[in-house]
Amino acid sequence: MCSLGGCISLPQSEALRENPPKDLPPRVELTQVPFHTQDGFLCGPASLAMVFNAAGIASANVESVSPLVYLPGREGSLQAEMLGATRRVGLLAYPLAPKMEDVLREIAAGRPVVVLLNLAFKLIPVWHYAVVVGYDLEKREVIVRSAKKARDDWSFGFLEYFWQESGYWSMLALPPGQLPATAREADTAVAIAALEQAGRRAEARESYRALLERWPDNLIGLIGLGNVEYSLKNLPASERAFRKASEAHPKSAVAFNNLAHVLAELGRLADAEAAARAAVAIGGPTLPEARNTLDAILARRKKP
Amino acid sequence: MSMSFVRLISRLLVVCLIGLPFQVSAGMIGTDQAVSAAQAQAARALVGSQISRADVAGQLQSLGLTPQAAKDRVAALTDSEVATLAGQIQSLPAGADGTALVVIILIGVLIWWLVK
Repeated sequence: MCSLGGCISLPQSEALRENPPKDLPPRVELTQVPFHTQDGFLCGPASLAMVFNAAGIASANVESVSPLVYLPGREGSLQAEMLGATRRVGLLAYPLAPKMEDVLREIAAGRPVVVLLNLAFKLIPVWHYAVVVGYDLEKREVIVRSAKKARDDWSFGFLEYFWQESGYWSMLALPPGQLPATAREADTAVAIAALEQAGRRAEARESYRALLERWPDNLIGLIGLGNVEYSLKNLPASERAFRKASEAHPKSAVAFNNLAHVLAELGRLADAEAAARAAVAIGGPTLPEARNTLDAILARRKKP
Repeated sequence: MSMSFVRLISRLLVVCLIGLPFQVSAGMIGTDQAVSAAQAQAARALVGSQISRADVAGQLQSLGLTPQAAKDRVAALTDSEVATLAGQIQSLPAGADGTALVVIILIGVLIWWLVK
């Protein structure tokens, strides 16, 4: 007979039971993460308020976060907006890889994790955000802040069952300058670029620096740092970043184009022209911008 | 004034409000272009990305946000997040709770017995 239990597949919990990661502490609980009651449809804002508090934004609460993320017409909060709201308060929003082990690793590093669960059925979903704040490898449990419960123990299997239909979606909110414990290079760079695009340049600068300390040649990191330094009127630092980008990535037209701009602004027109010519020679989708850059520099050089 | 006219006007307003928020300065190429190059996406025309941003902002408005709030929220999203939302805001997961508590307890008891 096929017992129901045998038909429910919970591969991640199974893997953690058979091979618990040996380098993780056996039990962690982030007791310092405060609790905000998830009243009504406000589990998104409440979950964010908890991780924002943990990341150092003491003033965050359900009232202050709701206008950033709650969508009245859906009576809930969308995943993309959970990330966007995090950026708007100046924190790095990082979606984790779809692995329970990565959630445990972040908790071991001191970061609470927001998870998206489906509490009902595939066809009639009831989506819910909760915050994982601890785990116990021996008991095979996570410690969760959810709904009206400030502290709840869920078995790994219980979490996985409700979590799997969101594609194991989870996210971190990190203070600027900190990288996820489970950081993947490309995803981290994209997450920081998103913080920059959301207008939080000073915070993005700190995170770009942390990224480049770990992955010194990352192209998005170098271009992003150069752009942020430029927009914050720090031209020498901007030049250094773009120069490093052009050396580490000699085929990046963006690196040479932006280097040319900074050099021109610093009054070094001959160097600027050389960089702009390099950008034009590389071509690619940014060729029109590179041509404009070169024309502008040539026009300036012709002036007496 | 008909609803559809109001909707049209508010969408037009959003397009005007959104402007060109991501340009670093004239001639400098923004980090988003480096990102889309690294992600091997076809370089999408800026205009195309502006239109889907306006579209998503319009949908957020129709779900109860003011034009300014919708604009600010869309500005905090990446191009790929906007592309995910475009046309799907009604169907994507929107985390909420309250009513599900009874369900979670019932299913929880069931799962507990099965997984234990």
